[in-house]
Amino acid sequence: MLTRRTLLQLTGAASMLALLGPALAAPALAQSAQQATAFVKSTGDALVAVVNGPGSPSDKRHQLQQVIDSTVDVDEIARFCLGRFWRQATPDQQRQYMALFHEVLLNNIAAKLGEYQGVRFVMGRAQEREDTDVVNTTVERPNNPPTQVDWIVSTATGQPKIIDVVAEGTSLRLTQRSDYASYLSRNGNNVKALIDAMQKQAAQSG
Amino acid sequence: MRAVTLSKLLLSACLIASSLAACAARPPASDPDALAEYEETNDPLEPTNRVFYVINNGIDTVLLRPAAQAYRFVVPQPVRNGVHNLLANLGTPVLLGNDILEAKPRRAGDTTMRFLINTTVGVVGVFDVAKDWGYPSHDNSFGTTLALWGVPEGPFLFLPVLGPSNPRDAVGFGVDTAMDPFTWVGQGAAVVALNWSRYAVSAVDQRERVLDAVDQIKKTALDPYATFRSLYRQHRASEIEQTRNDNRATIPVWFPQPAKAAAR
Repeated sequence: MLTRRTLLQLTGAASMLALLGPALAAPALAQSAQQATAFVKSTGDALVAVVNGPGSPSDKRHQLQQVIDSTVDVDEIARFCLGRFWRQATPDQQRQYMALFHEVLLNNIAAKLGEYQGVRFVMGRAQEREDTDVVNTTVERPNNPPTQVDWIVSTATGQPKIIDVVAEGTSLRLTQRSDYASYLSRNGNNVKALIDAMQKQAAQSG
Repeated sequence: MRAVTLSKLLLSACLIASSLAACAARPPASDPDALAEYEETNDPLEPTNRVFYVINNGIDTVLLRPAAQAYRFVVPQPVRNGVHNLLANLGTPVLLGNDILEAKPRRAGDTTMRFLINTTVGVVGVFDVAKDWGYPSHDNSFGTTLALWGVPEGPFLFLPVLGPSNPRDAVGFGVDTAMDPFTWVGQGAAVVALNWSRYAVSAVDQRERVLDAVDQIKKTALDPYATFRSLYRQHRASEIEQTRNDNRATIPVWFPQPAKAAAR
Protein backbone atom coordinates (compact mmCIF):
# COMPACT_ATOMS: atom_id res chain seq x y z
CA MET A 1 0.00 0.00 0.00
CA LEU A 2 1.23 3.39 -0.93
CA THR A 3 1.02 5.60 2.15
CA ARG A 4 1.50 9.30 2.08
CA ARG A 5 4.84 8.98 3.78
CA THR A 6 6.31 6.61 1.25
CA LEU A 7 4.99 8.82 -1.50
CA LEU A 8 6.81 11.77 0.03
CA GLN A 9 9.95 9.72 0.34
CA LEU A 10 9.66 8.63 -3.25
CA THR A 11 9.22 12.13 -4.61
CA GLY A 12 12.07 13.26 -2.40
CA ALA A 13 14.27 10.52 -3.73
CA ALA A 14 13.24 11.33 -7.29
CA SER A 15 14.15 15.00 -6.95
CA MET A 16 17.42 14.05 -5.31
CA LEU A 17 18.15 11.79 -8.25
CA ALA A 18 17.35 14.57 -10.71
CA LEU A 19 19.70 16.92 -8.85
CA LEU A 20 22.45 14.37 -8.50
CA GLY A 21 21.95 13.07 -12.05
CA PRO A 22 25.24 14.30 -13.47
CA ALA A 23 27.17 13.20 -10.39
CA LEU A 24 25.63 9.74 -10.57
CA ALA A 25 26.51 9.29 -14.22
CA ALA A 26 29.72 7.40 -13.52
CA PRO A 27 28.19 4.76 -11.20
CA ALA A 28 25.33 4.47 -13.70
CA LEU A 29 27.83 3.47 -16.38
CA ALA A 30 29.29 0.85 -14.11
CA GLN A 31 25.77 -0.38 -13.53
CA SER A 32 25.21 -0.77 -17.27
CA ALA A 33 28.37 -2.88 -17.50
CA GLN A 34 27.04 -4.94 -14.60
CA GLN A 35 23.72 -5.43 -16.37
CA ALA A 36 25.57 -6.41 -19.54
CA THR A 37 27.54 -8.99 -17.57
CA ALA A 38 24.37 -10.45 -16.08
CA PHE A 39 22.80 -10.52 -19.55
CA VAL A 40 25.80 -12.30 -21.10
CA LYS A 41 25.87 -14.73 -18.20
CA SER A 42 22.22 -15.70 -18.67
CA THR A 43 22.65 -15.90 -22.46
CA GLY A 44 25.74 -18.07 -22.06
CA ASP A 45 23.94 -20.32 -19.58
CA ALA A 46 21.05 -20.70 -22.02
CA LEU A 47 23.44 -21.59 -24.86
CA VAL A 48 25.36 -24.09 -22.73
CA ALA A 49 22.06 -25.67 -21.70
CA VAL A 50 21.16 -26.15 -25.36
CA VAL A 51 24.61 -27.48 -26.32
CA ASN A 52 24.98 -29.92 -23.45
CA GLY A 53 21.30 -30.71 -23.07
CA PRO A 54 19.35 -33.66 -24.46
CA GLY A 55 17.39 -33.60 -27.68
CA SER A 56 17.80 -34.37 -31.36
CA PRO A 57 19.75 -31.98 -33.61
CA SER A 58 16.51 -30.52 -34.95
CA ASP A 59 15.18 -29.97 -31.39
CA LYS A 60 18.40 -28.24 -30.51
CA ARG A 61 18.26 -26.12 -33.64
CA HIS A 62 14.81 -24.96 -32.60
CA GLN A 63 15.94 -24.18 -29.03
CA LEU A 64 18.96 -22.36 -30.41
CA GLN A 65 16.73 -20.25 -32.62
CA GLN A 66 14.71 -19.16 -29.58
CA VAL A 67 17.84 -18.16 -27.67
CA ILE A 68 19.26 -16.25 -30.64
CA ASP A 69 16.00 -14.46 -31.43
CA SER A 70 15.65 -13.18 -27.89
CA THR A 71 19.28 -12.24 -27.21
CA VAL A 72 20.97 -11.34 -30.52
CA ASP A 73 20.15 -8.31 -32.68
CA VAL A 74 20.44 -10.32 -35.91
CA ASP A 75 18.88 -7.56 -38.04
CA GLU A 76 21.52 -5.07 -36.93
CA ILE A 77 24.32 -7.58 -37.60
CA ALA A 78 22.86 -8.39 -41.03
CA ARG A 79 22.76 -4.71 -42.01
CA PHE A 80 26.32 -4.23 -40.78
CA CYS A 81 27.55 -7.23 -42.78
CA LEU A 82 26.10 -5.92 -46.02
CA GLY A 83 27.75 -2.55 -45.39
CA ARG A 84 27.41 0.00 -48.18
CA PHE A 85 25.45 -2.45 -50.31
CA TRP A 86 22.50 -2.29 -47.91
CA ARG A 87 21.60 1.13 -49.31
CA GLN A 88 22.05 -0.10 -52.89
CA ALA A 89 19.73 -3.07 -52.43
CA THR A 90 16.07 -2.77 -53.40
CA PRO A 91 13.53 -3.15 -50.53
CA ASP A 92 12.69 -6.58 -51.91
CA GLN A 93 16.36 -7.60 -51.91
CA GLN A 94 16.73 -6.24 -48.38
CA ARG A 95 13.86 -8.43 -47.22
CA GLN A 96 15.23 -11.53 -48.96
CA TYR A 97 18.73 -10.89 -47.65
CA MET A 98 17.49 -10.40 -44.11
CA ALA A 99 15.55 -13.68 -44.09
CA LEU A 100 18.50 -15.57 -45.59
CA PHE A 101 20.96 -14.04 -43.14
CA HIS A 102 18.84 -15.26 -40.21
CA GLU A 103 18.74 -18.76 -41.66
CA VAL A 104 22.42 -19.00 -42.61
CA LEU A 105 23.54 -17.69 -39.23
CA LEU A 106 21.40 -20.22 -37.41
CA ASN A 107 22.65 -23.03 -39.68
CA ASN A 108 26.27 -22.10 -39.09
CA ILE A 109 25.89 -22.03 -35.32
CA ALA A 110 23.78 -25.20 -35.25
CA ALA A 111 26.47 -27.00 -37.29
CA LYS A 112 29.00 -26.27 -34.55
CA LEU A 113 26.90 -27.57 -31.65
CA GLY A 114 28.48 -31.04 -31.75
CA GLU A 115 32.00 -29.62 -31.48
CA TYR A 116 31.06 -27.64 -28.40
CA GLN A 117 29.83 -30.63 -26.38
CA GLY A 118 30.97 -30.21 -22.78
CA VAL A 119 31.56 -26.48 -23.17
CA ARG A 120 31.72 -24.19 -20.15
CA PHE A 121 32.59 -20.56 -19.81
CA VAL A 122 34.09 -18.31 -17.19
CA MET A 123 32.92 -14.73 -16.87
CA GLY A 124 35.55 -12.02 -17.05
CA ARG A 125 35.38 -8.28 -16.61
CA ALA A 126 33.11 -5.90 -18.48
CA GLN A 127 33.89 -2.46 -19.77
CA GLU A 128 32.29 0.36 -21.72
CA ARG A 129 33.42 0.96 -25.26
CA GLU A 130 31.73 3.83 -27.10
CA ASP A 131 28.01 3.16 -26.62
CA THR A 132 28.34 -0.59 -26.11
CA ASP A 133 29.40 -2.86 -23.28
CA VAL A 134 32.17 -5.37 -23.89
CA VAL A 135 31.98 -8.46 -21.67
CA ASN A 136 35.03 -10.74 -21.59
CA THR A 137 34.61 -14.48 -21.12
CA THR A 138 36.86 -17.50 -21.39
CA VAL A 139 35.31 -20.42 -23.22
CA GLU A 140 36.64 -23.82 -22.22
CA ARG A 141 36.10 -26.97 -24.21
CA PRO A 142 37.43 -30.42 -23.36
CA ASN A 143 40.74 -31.09 -25.17
CA ASN A 144 40.96 -27.56 -26.52
CA PRO A 145 42.99 -24.60 -25.35
CA PRO A 146 40.80 -21.97 -23.63
CA THR A 147 39.51 -19.25 -25.96
CA GLN A 148 39.04 -15.58 -25.11
CA VAL A 149 35.60 -14.52 -26.28
CA ASP A 150 34.27 -10.96 -25.99
CA TRP A 151 30.54 -10.27 -26.25
CA ILE A 152 29.56 -6.85 -27.54
CA VAL A 153 26.25 -5.80 -26.01
CA SER A 154 24.20 -2.84 -27.22
CA THR A 155 21.10 -1.38 -25.59
CA ALA A 156 20.23 0.74 -28.64
CA THR A 157 16.91 -1.08 -29.09
CA GLY A 158 15.92 -0.55 -25.44
CA GLN A 159 16.93 -3.99 -24.20
CA PRO A 160 20.38 -5.51 -24.12
CA LYS A 161 21.19 -7.38 -27.34
CA ILE A 162 24.37 -8.99 -28.59
CA ILE A 163 25.63 -7.23 -31.71
CA ASP A 164 29.01 -8.94 -32.11
CA VAL A 165 31.13 -11.79 -30.80
CA VAL A 166 34.92 -11.40 -30.83
CA ALA A 167 36.87 -14.66 -30.51
CA GLU A 168 40.63 -14.31 -29.92
CA GLY A 169 40.54 -10.82 -31.38
CA THR A 170 38.55 -11.75 -34.48
CA SER A 171 35.15 -10.14 -34.82
CA LEU A 172 32.38 -12.31 -36.20
CA ARG A 173 30.60 -9.51 -38.00
CA LEU A 174 33.75 -7.86 -39.40
CA THR A 175 34.87 -11.19 -40.83
CA GLN A 176 31.45 -11.85 -42.30
CA ARG A 177 31.33 -8.37 -43.81
CA SER A 178 34.69 -8.80 -45.52
CA ASP A 179 33.53 -12.17 -46.87
CA TYR A 180 30.39 -10.62 -48.40
CA ALA A 181 32.22 -7.51 -49.63
CA SER A 182 34.81 -9.63 -51.41
CA TYR A 183 32.18 -11.91 -52.92
CA LEU A 184 30.24 -8.87 -54.15
CA SER A 185 33.29 -7.18 -55.65
CA ARG A 186 34.07 -10.36 -57.57
CA ASN A 187 30.50 -10.58 -58.82
CA GLY A 188 30.00 -7.11 -60.23
CA ASN A 189 28.82 -5.59 -56.92
CA ASN A 190 25.49 -7.23 -57.61
CA VAL A 191 23.40 -7.87 -54.48
CA LYS A 192 21.33 -10.38 -56.45
CA ALA A 193 24.44 -12.58 -56.86
CA LEU A 194 25.01 -12.55 -53.10
CA ILE A 195 21.39 -13.48 -52.42
CA ASP A 196 21.64 -16.37 -54.89
CA ALA A 197 24.81 -17.63 -53.23
CA MET A 198 23.20 -17.40 -49.78
CA GLN A 199 20.15 -19.25 -51.08
CA LYS A 200 22.44 -22.03 -52.25
CA GLN A 201 24.09 -22.11 -48.82
CA ALA A 202 20.79 -22.24 -47.00
CA ALA A 203 19.55 -25.04 -49.26
CA GLN A 204 22.74 -27.06 -48.71
CA SER A 205 22.54 -27.20 -44.93
CA GLY A 206 18.75 -27.09 -44.67
CA MET B 1 53.72 -39.45 -63.63
CA ARG B 2 51.34 -37.76 -61.30
CA ALA B 3 54.16 -35.97 -59.51
CA VAL B 4 55.41 -34.64 -62.83
CA THR B 5 52.06 -33.14 -63.74
CA LEU B 6 51.74 -31.62 -60.28
CA SER B 7 55.16 -29.99 -60.42
CA LYS B 8 54.43 -28.77 -63.96
CA LEU B 9 51.20 -27.28 -62.71
CA LEU B 10 52.99 -25.56 -59.84
CA LEU B 11 55.67 -24.24 -62.15
CA SER B 12 53.21 -22.83 -64.65
CA ALA B 13 51.18 -21.28 -61.85
CA CYS B 14 54.33 -19.60 -60.50
CA LEU B 15 55.21 -18.35 -63.98
CA ILE B 16 51.74 -16.93 -64.45
CA ALA B 17 51.96 -15.28 -61.04
CA SER B 18 55.35 -13.70 -61.62
CA SER B 19 54.77 -12.66 -65.23
CA LEU B 20 51.49 -11.02 -64.40
CA ALA B 21 52.81 -9.45 -61.19
CA ALA B 22 49.21 -8.44 -61.06
CA CYS B 23 47.85 -5.59 -59.01
CA ALA B 24 44.26 -5.08 -57.98
CA ALA B 25 42.95 -1.96 -59.69
CA ARG B 26 42.64 0.94 -57.29
CA PRO B 27 39.09 2.31 -57.42
CA PRO B 28 38.78 5.93 -58.61
CA ALA B 29 38.34 8.76 -56.09
CA SER B 30 34.81 9.27 -57.43
CA ASP B 31 33.77 6.07 -55.64
CA PRO B 32 34.72 6.79 -52.00
CA ASP B 33 33.00 3.68 -50.58
CA ALA B 34 34.88 1.32 -52.88
CA LEU B 35 38.10 3.22 -52.20
CA ALA B 36 37.61 2.97 -48.43
CA GLU B 37 37.05 -0.76 -48.79
CA TYR B 38 40.18 -1.10 -50.94
CA GLU B 39 42.27 0.66 -48.29
CA GLU B 40 40.71 -1.34 -45.46
CA THR B 41 41.40 -4.65 -47.19
CA ASN B 42 45.04 -3.63 -47.67
CA ASP B 43 45.53 -6.15 -50.45
CA PRO B 44 46.94 -4.43 -53.57
CA LEU B 45 48.55 -7.70 -54.70
CA GLU B 46 45.28 -9.61 -54.48
CA PRO B 47 45.40 -11.31 -57.93
CA THR B 48 48.88 -12.73 -57.24
CA ASN B 49 47.94 -13.61 -53.67
CA ARG B 50 44.91 -15.53 -54.90
CA VAL B 51 47.12 -17.62 -57.21
CA PHE B 52 49.23 -18.67 -54.24
CA TYR B 53 46.11 -19.28 -52.20
CA VAL B 54 44.92 -21.74 -54.85
CA ILE B 55 48.35 -23.45 -54.92
CA ASN B 56 48.57 -23.70 -51.13
CA ASN B 57 45.04 -24.93 -50.94
CA GLY B 58 45.93 -27.68 -53.42
CA ILE B 59 49.00 -28.69 -51.41
CA ASP B 60 46.92 -28.65 -48.25
CA THR B 61 44.18 -30.81 -49.75
CA VAL B 62 46.51 -33.53 -51.04
CA LEU B 63 49.21 -33.41 -48.36
CA LEU B 64 48.83 -31.50 -45.12
CA ARG B 65 45.14 -32.01 -44.37
CA PRO B 66 45.24 -35.81 -44.89
CA ALA B 67 48.42 -35.95 -42.80
CA ALA B 68 46.72 -34.02 -40.01
CA GLN B 69 43.65 -36.25 -40.22
CA ALA B 70 45.80 -39.37 -40.06
CA TYR B 71 47.68 -37.90 -37.11
CA ARG B 72 44.42 -37.23 -35.28
CA PHE B 73 43.11 -40.71 -36.12
CA VAL B 74 46.22 -42.65 -35.10
CA VAL B 75 47.66 -40.69 -32.19
CA PRO B 76 45.49 -40.31 -29.07
CA GLN B 77 44.79 -36.83 -27.68
CA PRO B 78 47.10 -36.98 -24.59
CA VAL B 79 50.05 -37.98 -26.78
CA ARG B 80 49.25 -35.18 -29.24
CA ASN B 81 49.17 -32.72 -26.34
CA GLY B 82 52.57 -34.01 -25.23
CA VAL B 83 53.99 -33.57 -28.72
CA HIS B 84 52.60 -30.05 -28.86
CA ASN B 85 54.09 -29.16 -25.47
CA LEU B 86 57.45 -30.61 -26.47
CA LEU B 87 57.52 -28.54 -29.67
CA ALA B 88 56.54 -25.43 -27.71
CA ASN B 89 59.39 -26.08 -25.29
CA LEU B 90 61.84 -26.37 -28.20
CA GLY B 91 60.67 -22.90 -29.28
CA THR B 92 61.89 -21.33 -26.02
CA PRO B 93 65.04 -19.61 -27.39
CA VAL B 94 63.11 -17.73 -30.08
CA LEU B 95 60.28 -16.90 -27.67
CA LEU B 96 62.65 -15.63 -24.99
CA GLY B 97 64.70 -13.66 -27.51
CA ASN B 98 61.61 -11.80 -28.68
CA ASP B 99 60.31 -11.24 -25.12
CA ILE B 100 63.63 -9.54 -24.34
CA LEU B 101 63.78 -7.55 -27.59
CA GLU B 102 60.30 -6.25 -26.81
CA ALA B 103 61.40 -5.24 -23.29
CA LYS B 104 58.69 -7.35 -21.64
CA PRO B 105 60.39 -8.61 -18.46
CA ARG B 106 57.37 -10.48 -17.07
CA ARG B 107 56.91 -12.35 -20.35
CA ALA B 108 60.61 -13.17 -20.45
CA GLY B 109 60.31 -14.37 -16.84
CA ASP B 110 57.31 -16.55 -17.69
CA THR B 111 59.20 -18.04 -20.63
CA THR B 112 62.30 -18.75 -18.52
CA MET B 113 60.35 -20.31 -15.65
CA ARG B 114 58.28 -22.37 -18.07
CA PHE B 115 61.44 -23.71 -19.70
CA LEU B 116 63.09 -24.55 -16.36
CA ILE B 117 60.00 -26.22 -14.87
CA ASN B 118 58.75 -28.03 -17.96
CA THR B 119 62.19 -29.29 -19.01
CA THR B 120 62.76 -30.87 -15.58
CA VAL B 121 59.47 -31.64 -13.81
CA GLY B 122 57.62 -31.74 -17.12
CA VAL B 123 60.02 -34.35 -18.58
CA VAL B 124 61.81 -32.38 -21.36
CA GLY B 125 58.64 -30.42 -21.97
CA VAL B 126 56.08 -33.15 -22.60
CA PHE B 127 53.92 -32.00 -19.67
CA ASP B 128 53.01 -28.35 -19.21
CA VAL B 129 53.39 -28.26 -15.42
CA ALA B 130 54.37 -24.59 -15.38
CA LYS B 131 50.92 -23.49 -16.54
CA ASP B 132 49.37 -24.85 -13.33
CA TRP B 133 52.13 -23.26 -11.28
CA GLY B 134 51.20 -19.77 -12.42
CA TYR B 135 53.38 -19.34 -15.50
CA PRO B 136 50.96 -19.15 -18.43
CA SER B 137 52.14 -19.71 -21.99
CA HIS B 138 52.13 -17.02 -24.64
CA ASP B 139 53.09 -16.72 -28.29
CA ASN B 140 55.67 -14.39 -29.72
CA SER B 141 57.50 -13.81 -32.95
CA PHE B 142 59.87 -11.29 -34.45
CA GLY B 143 56.95 -10.02 -36.52
CA THR B 144 55.34 -8.88 -33.27
CA THR B 145 58.65 -7.40 -32.11
CA LEU B 146 58.90 -5.37 -35.31
CA ALA B 147 55.33 -4.16 -34.80
CA LEU B 148 56.15 -2.99 -31.26
CA TRP B 149 59.21 -1.22 -32.65
CA GLY B 150 56.85 0.76 -34.89
CA VAL B 151 57.42 -1.01 -38.21
CA PRO B 152 54.22 -0.87 -40.34
CA GLU B 153 52.69 -4.16 -41.52
CA GLY B 154 52.80 -3.45 -45.27
CA PRO B 155 50.40 -4.99 -47.79
CA PHE B 156 48.77 -8.35 -47.17
CA LEU B 157 50.68 -11.27 -48.69
CA PHE B 158 49.69 -14.85 -49.29
CA LEU B 159 53.00 -16.71 -49.42
CA PRO B 160 53.71 -20.09 -50.98
CA VAL B 161 53.71 -22.82 -48.28
CA LEU B 162 53.66 -20.27 -45.40
CA GLY B 163 50.20 -18.90 -46.16
CA PRO B 164 48.75 -15.56 -44.97
CA SER B 165 51.39 -12.99 -44.06
CA ASN B 166 52.69 -9.49 -44.74
CA PRO B 167 56.22 -8.12 -45.31
CA ARG B 168 56.66 -7.48 -41.58
CA ASP B 169 55.67 -11.02 -40.57
CA ALA B 170 57.60 -12.56 -43.47
CA VAL B 171 60.80 -10.79 -42.36
CA GLY B 172 59.91 -11.81 -38.80
CA PHE B 173 59.69 -15.44 -39.86
CA GLY B 174 63.15 -15.25 -41.42
CA VAL B 175 64.65 -13.61 -38.33
CA ASP B 176 62.96 -16.15 -36.03
CA THR B 177 64.49 -18.98 -38.06
CA ALA B 178 67.91 -17.30 -37.90
CA MET B 179 67.45 -16.66 -34.16
CA ASP B 180 66.74 -20.34 -33.50
CA PRO B 181 69.89 -22.08 -32.27
CA PHE B 182 68.59 -25.36 -33.71
CA THR B 183 69.07 -23.82 -37.16
CA TRP B 184 72.80 -23.57 -36.47
CA VAL B 185 73.93 -26.23 -33.98
CA GLY B 186 75.27 -29.61 -34.92
CA GLN B 187 76.42 -31.18 -38.12
CA GLY B 188 75.74 -34.35 -40.01
CA ALA B 189 72.81 -36.08 -41.57
CA ALA B 190 71.24 -37.02 -38.24
CA VAL B 191 70.92 -33.41 -37.07
CA VAL B 192 69.57 -32.28 -40.44
CA ALA B 193 67.06 -35.11 -40.39
CA LEU B 194 66.02 -34.21 -36.82
CA ASN B 195 65.57 -30.57 -37.74
CA TRP B 196 63.43 -31.40 -40.75
CA SER B 197 61.35 -33.86 -38.73
CA ARG B 198 60.75 -31.09 -36.24
CA TYR B 199 59.45 -28.82 -39.02
CA ALA B 200 57.27 -31.62 -40.40
CA VAL B 201 55.81 -32.67 -37.04
CA SER B 202 55.25 -29.06 -36.14
CA ALA B 203 53.38 -28.43 -39.42
CA VAL B 204 51.15 -31.47 -38.85
CA ASP B 205 50.59 -30.47 -35.21
CA GLN B 206 49.54 -26.92 -36.20
CA ARG B 207 47.30 -28.21 -38.96
CA GLU B 208 45.61 -30.78 -36.74
CA ARG B 209 44.70 -28.09 -34.22
CA VAL B 210 42.76 -26.09 -36.83
CA LEU B 211 41.23 -29.00 -38.78
CA ASP B 212 37.63 -28.32 -37.76
CA ALA B 213 37.92 -24.54 -37.87
CA VAL B 214 39.38 -24.50 -41.40
CA ASP B 215 36.87 -27.06 -42.68
CA GLN B 216 34.06 -24.95 -41.24
CA ILE B 217 35.34 -21.76 -42.91
CA LYS B 218 35.75 -23.44 -46.28
CA LYS B 219 32.23 -24.76 -46.00
CA THR B 220 30.50 -21.58 -44.84
CA ALA B 221 32.46 -18.71 -46.40
CA LEU B 222 31.39 -17.43 -49.81
CA ASP B 223 34.97 -16.32 -50.41
CA PRO B 224 37.31 -18.33 -48.15
CA TYR B 225 40.35 -16.35 -49.31
CA ALA B 226 38.82 -13.07 -48.12
CA THR B 227 37.71 -14.69 -44.87
CA PHE B 228 41.18 -16.07 -44.12
CA ARG B 229 42.68 -12.68 -44.98
CA SER B 230 40.34 -10.88 -42.61
CA LEU B 231 40.85 -13.43 -39.81
CA TYR B 232 44.62 -13.34 -40.15
CA ARG B 233 44.82 -9.55 -40.06
CA GLN B 234 42.41 -9.19 -37.13
CA HIS B 235 44.13 -11.94 -35.17
CA ARG B 236 47.60 -10.48 -35.67
CA ALA B 237 46.44 -7.00 -34.71
CA SER B 238 44.89 -8.31 -31.50
CA GLU B 239 47.96 -10.44 -30.68
CA ILE B 240 50.21 -7.39 -31.08
CA GLU B 241 47.94 -5.23 -28.90
CA GLN B 242 47.84 -7.93 -26.23
CA THR B 243 51.64 -8.04 -26.16
CA ARG B 244 51.88 -4.26 -26.12
CA ASN B 245 49.47 -4.00 -23.19
CA ASP B 246 51.13 -6.72 -21.09
CA ASN B 247 52.86 -4.38 -18.67
CA ARG B 248 52.56 -6.46 -15.50
CA ALA B 249 54.80 -5.32 -12.67
CA THR B 250 58.05 -7.22 -12.40
CA ILE B 251 58.03 -7.83 -8.64
CA PRO B 252 58.21 -11.61 -8.07
CA VAL B 253 55.35 -13.13 -6.10
CA TRP B 254 57.64 -14.18 -3.22
CA PHE B 255 58.97 -10.62 -2.76
CA PRO B 256 57.07 -8.32 -0.36
CA GLN B 257 54.52 -6.51 -2.53
CA PRO B 258 54.47 -2.70 -2.16
CA ALA B 259 50.74 -2.54 -1.34
CA LYS B 260 50.95 -5.33 1.22
CA ALA B 261 54.15 -3.92 2.73
CA ALA B 262 52.43 -0.56 3.21
CA ALA B 263 49.42 -2.22 4.84
CA ARG B 264 51.70 -3.94 7.30
